[in-house]
Amino acid sequence: MIRHLFKLIWNKKKAHTLLIIEIWASFLVLFGLSSLIVFNVSNYNQPLGFTYENVWAIDLRNNQDTVAVTAKMQTIMQRIRSYAEVESASRMSSNYPFSASTMNNNATHDKATAMAYLFVADGDFAKTLQMPLTAGRWYTPADSIGKFRPVVINQLAKDELFGNEDPLGKVITSGDGQYKVMGVVETFKSKGEFQGDKPTIFEQLNENAPWDKTVLIRVKPGTDAVFEAKLVKDITSMAPEWGAEVTYLTDSRQNQHNLALVPVTIFLIICGFLLINVALGLFGILNVSIARRRGEIGLRRALGATESSISWHFVGEMWVLATFAVVLGLILAGQFPLMNVFDLDTGVYLKAILISVVVVYAIVTLCAVYPSRQAATVQPAVALHEE
Amino acid sequence: MLLNYIKIAWKVLLRHPFYTFITLFGISLTLTVLMVLTSFLDHLFGSHYPEVNRDRSLYIQIMIRSDSSRNSRQTSPMSFRFLTEHVRPLKTPERATIFSFFNASNAYVGTRKIKLNTSYTDAEFWRVNQFTFLEGKPYNEQTISSGERVAVITEDFKEQYFPNAEESAVGKDIDVENTRYRVIGVVTGSPITRLFTHADVYFPYTAPKSNYQRESMNGQYNAIVLAKHKSDLPAIQAEFQERIRRLPVPGVDGDFKYANINVKSETYVNNFLSIILDGGPGLKAALIGVISFILFMLIGLPAINLVNVNISRILERASEIGIRKAFGAPVRTLLWQFIIENIFITFIGGAIALVLSFGIIQLINQSGWIAHADLTINLSVFLISVLVCLLFGFLSGVLPALRMSKLNIADALKA
Repeated sequence: MIRHLFKLIWNKKKAHTLLIIEIWASFLVLFGLSSLIVFNVSNYNQPLGFTYENVWAIDLRNNQDTVAVTAKMQTIMQRIRSYAEVESASRMSSNYPFSASTMNNNATHDKATAMAYLFVADGDFAKTLQMPLTAGRWYTPADSIGKFRPVVINQLAKDELFGNEDPLGKVITSGDGQYKVMGVVETFKSKGEFQGDKPTIFEQLNENAPWDKTVLIRVKPGTDAVFEAKLVKDITSMAPEWGAEVTYLTDSRQNQHNLALVPVTIFLIICGFLLINVALGLFGILNVSIARRRGEIGLRRALGATESSISWHFVGEMWVLATFAVVLGLILAGQFPLMNVFDLDTGVYLKAILISVVVVYAIVTLCAVYPSRQAATVQPAVALHEE
Repeated sequence: MLLNYIKIAWKVLLRHPFYTFITLFGISLTLTVLMVLTSFLDHLFGSHYPEVNRDRSLYIQIMIRSDSSRNSRQTSPMSFRFLTEHVRPLKTPERATIFSFFNASNAYVGTRKIKLNTSYTDAEFWRVNQFTFLEGKPYNEQTISSGERVAVITEDFKEQYFPNAEESAVGKDIDVENTRYRVIGVVTGSPITRLFTHADVYFPYTAPKSNYQRESMNGQYNAIVLAKHKSDLPAIQAEFQERIRRLPVPGVDGDFKYANINVKSETYVNNFLSIILDGGPGLKAALIGVISFILFMLIGLPAINLVNVNISRILERASEIGIRKAFGAPVRTLLWQFIIENIFITFIGGAIALVLSFGIIQLINQSGWIAHADLTINLSVFLISVLVCLLFGFLSGVLPALRMSKLNIADALKA
C-alpha cells in the first residue's frame, strides 16, 4: 500500500515539486521557530539562582573627582549599611544582575578550561541576593589574607573545570591571577530567566581599589522613592562630584525579558501567519486536484473501495509528499546539531526537529481531511458518467 | 486591451470567493510585513525629527586603538577635548556638534521617582539637529561659557516633573542628582531609536559631572559633522582622516600604550553597520545569511504558495485559453495577459496591505513600545512597496502563465 502511494507520487513528481518545496520551506520555518521557543523554554525552566525583589543597584561614578576615591567609597558603604531600611548591601563590579554589561574571562584548572562570566563582589553578595550555596561557604574579609584570592563558582563552572572532583580548596587560574575555590552555588542566570546558565566565577572584591563602584542593596519590603531620594541626596552630598543612579532589579529584569521576548513574539506572529497562509493554500490545492480525480475515484468505488479507504488514500498521499519534504528538510536541519551552529544544545535542536515534524504532519493532515472526505462521497455512477 | 485583461481578472476573482480569499490573504500578509519592515528601517535610518539633516551628516562615534602586537584593543567614544581638537578645526563642513551619549539617571518628586536620560551637548547641537521648541529656547555659546546651570527638557519629562502641565516650565528649577538646573527650553522628544539625539534632559557640556575636562583621548562624547551639501561628504571624510593620520603614534594615553589609532567619520547607516559588524567578516556573513534566509522565507513561501494555487487552477481556464489559441493568439500575448492579471491581483492585495500596515504602524506609534515612535508610510516606503508588489506579482505569475500558455489547443478545448 505504502509502496503504491510512493509510486503514485513519484510518477507525478514534476507536478508535485512545488508542493514539496512549499512543505519543505514551511518545515524550515517551523524548525527555526521551534528552536527559538524550545531554547527559551528550557532556559526558563532552570532556576535563576538568586532573588531580585526589593534589590536595588546603585551605580556610582566618580567623574572627574580622583581624590581619595577609595576612602569616599568606604564612607559611602558604611553610610548605606547604617540605614534602617537597608537589610543588606554589597559592593560589586558594574555588571550587576540583569545589567547590560558583562565581563568574561578564560579560567583553567589542570587542563580543563572554561569561558566564565566574572563577577567581582564583596562578602555580602550571597546574603544580599539570597543565594543558596550547595557546597562550601561564601568568602569573608578574613579570606583575603591567604596566598590566593578566594572565589565562589557555580555548578556549571565546577562541572567544566573539575568534573567529578571536589572543587573546594582547589586553585584555578584566570587571567594573571590564581584563585582558591571556597564554595559552589547552583546556578546564576545573570541576564534573566530566558538566558541559559553560564559558567560563573565570583571573585572577592578588593575594597582598597578605586574601581568596581556598584552597590547592591536589599531594602525592607515597602521601601519607596522617598528613601531612594534621601539615599541619592546623602551620597551626593558626601561626594558632590559623584553621580549616583539607582535601578530596581525588577525593572532591569523586565528589560532583559523584553530583549529576549520581543524578537520571539514578532517571529511567532509572522510565522503563525505564514503557516496559516500555507495551510489555506494547501487546502485550496488539494480541493482542486482531488476534484479533478473524480473519474479515478469513481472507478475505485465501482470496484468496491470503501469510503474510508478512499479518504485514507488521499491523506496517505499527502503524508508521502510531506515525508519527501521533511526528509529534505531534515538533511538541512540536521546540520545544526551536527555542526553545533549558534552554540546551542543538541537537545534543543532535536526537540525542535521533533516538534516541527509533528506540526508539519498535523497541518498536512488537517488540510487533506476535508477534501478527501468530499472525494469519498463521490457516487461511482455519477463520476463514471462524467467521463 | 489592458482594461479587458483587468476585467477578466476581476471576473475570475469573483467566481471563487474562497480562492480569492486565499490569494489575497497571502499577498496582503506578505506585503504588510514588508511594508511595516521598510517603514521601520526608514524610521531607523532615514532623516527624521530631529536629525533631519542626517543625509548630509557624518557621525564620529568610536575610536579604536590597539597596541603594537594587536593583542589588546580599546574601543570607546572620545573625550570632549579630543573631539574639540580634531573636529572643530575642520574647514569643509558647515558646522559640527560635540555631545555625550545619553546616560540614565533619576529625579525625585515627592514620593515619585522619574527615570530619565541625560545628555551633555554644546550649543551647535541645537543647530545641527532641528528640535521643535514648544517653550523657551536652546542654550547658546554665551550661556555655556558663563557656566549657568540650565537645561532643555522634553515635553514628556515636563509633564512628569511639573504637576501643572498648563503652566510654562521655563524659568522653573529641576533637581537632578542633587544639582539644581533652571529650565530654559522645552522640546518635543526624540525617540530612543535615535541614539545620538535621544535624551529627556539636555545640559550644556559645562554642567557638573559632564567630564568635559577629561584629559585622556577616550571618553563619552560623539560628534556629528554637518556638510554644506551631500556631495561634500567624501571631502570632509578625507580631511578628517588626514588629521587622524597625523596623530603621533605610538603614544601613551593614561596607562594604555597604543600603536594604532583609528577614528572613522561615517554616514549614519555605515556607522551603524560598522559597529554591528565589528565582530569581523564571519559575523557579517552570518548576518547576511540569516537576513536573506528570513527574506527568502518571507517572500518565497507565500509566492510558492500562490504559484501552487494558480497552477492547480489552470484547468479552470483551459477552454478560454484553448479558444484564444485556436484563434491564433501567440504564446507571448497569453503570457502577458496572465502576468498582468497577476500584477493586478497583487495590487489589490497591496492596497489591502497598505491599509493594514497603516493600522499596524498607528498601533506601534501609540502603544508606547518605542517612546516617541514616528513610523510613517512616506513616499520612499510607498515606492518600495509598489516595487515589491510588482516583483511579487511577476514572480507568482510567470510560472503558471508559462504552464497555461503551453497547453495543447486540442486538450484545452476538450477540457
